[in-house]
Amino acid sequence: MAGSALKRLMAEYKQLTLNPPEGIIAGPVNEENFFEWEALIMGPEGTWFEGGIFPARLTFPTDYPLSPPKMKFTCEIFHPNIYPDGRVCISILHAPGDDPMGYETSAERWSPVQSVEKILLSVVSMLAEPNDESAANVDAAKTWREDRQKFQEIAQRTVRKSLGL
Amino acid sequence: MAEGALNYDPSKNYDDQTCAQQRDIEKAIADEQPLVSDILSFDELKTEYQDDEIFKLKIDDLKGRYKHMRKTRGDGNCFFRAFGFAYLEQLLNNNTDFPRFKEIASKSKDELVALGFPQFTIEDFHETFMEVIEKVEKKCTNEEFYQLYTDQGISDYFVVYLRLIVSGHLQKEEDFFIHFVEGGRTVKEFCNQEVEPMHKESDHIHITALTAALGVNIRVEYMDRGDTPKCNQHDFPDGSRPSVYLLYRPSHYDILYP
Repeated sequence: MAGSALKRLMAEYKQLTLNPPEGIIAGPVNEENFFEWEALIMGPEGTWFEGGIFPARLTFPTDYPLSPPKMKFTCEIFHPNIYPDGRVCISILHAPGDDPMGYETSAERWSPVQSVEKILLSVVSMLAEPNDESAANVDAAKTWREDRQKFQEIAQRTVRKSLGL
Repeated sequence: MAEGALNYDPSKNYDDQTCAQQRDIEKAIADEQPLVSDILSFDELKTEYQDDEIFKLKIDDLKGRYKHMRKTRGDGNCFFRAFGFAYLEQLLNNNTDFPRFKEIASKSKDELVALGFPQFTIEDFHETFMEVIEKVEKKCTNEEFYQLYTDQGISDYFVVYLRLIVSGHLQKEEDFFIHFVEGGRTVKEFCNQEVEPMHKESDHIHITALTAALGVNIRVEYMDRGDTPKCNQHDFPDGSRPSVYLLYRPSHYDILYP
């Protein structure tokens, strides 16, 4: 099973290298282990996170793509759909039925035809449009809902921090 | 109540705990049930229903009409797993339908790509699907076929591809199937949530789409709680001559041999 997972991950890596989506760089941490990836995501233009470069880790199960990977930001990021420890909480990282947050019925789910690229693009949209209905960081959701000014200040601080400023 | 028993602790990783628990349950089922069992007699099936007079009568009804059965693993993929095994085993023993089926199978990938499925994510599944079909074409022994089809990696990829064929057919015939999709979802959303992911159980709509897409007719014998002594039959499509026979017990499909 790990053989087919490896084959698929290599194909996805090739695909992402040949046609990289805007604002995203991703690939295995080292070529010895294709089941551990690092991604760099640029904060989308015109959003609170514009200008930031946010590193994350993707960890793939041996039965990928039957099951989805896990994704975790390795930098500080204050966002309603990211746990305080960096784990990303969006519907595409979960198969239906496996539902810790009770995602809405129209939310896109993991299936074997999804891909790393689809996940990363969903993460970019999540950065642009937080969903405070299924909050992983209650504090961030509350600030997002009630005090946009403060949310913006915190977001911009993490942007500067992500650039090492 | 013990202090903190129900307190939500945001620093804890409940996600991973939920997933780990899910995996444990899947593993327990996998250890107990083969993907596809050996041939079983209906008397063996009866041992599951010692105190159930209605189900025992229904099993007698099956016994009068079928020779034996095979069970499949109850992992949510049972309909697809049962269908694939039953149909390929039949092709192995009588290949008159083979050329027609192989042509549909080979062409199906391009049709999925034309429907918008990304080629590089469906390629591996189609490749495995065709490999299994080609083994059948080369007349492997029944034992070799059984070994191949019960290899978890190969079998799961075969199931994924059958799911994609169903998804493709539902999306192609969207105008018709939209009337059968529940929950105010689009056909595409339904496919993303109820068809394409592994372990999602199948319903009439999946069976209808699969029979139509592959041109293989299925008869399902329903063994339910109704108090008639016989199983209800349903043929997909209605009035067709079936070539695959399945037994349905609440939430589960097994294979029947006429």
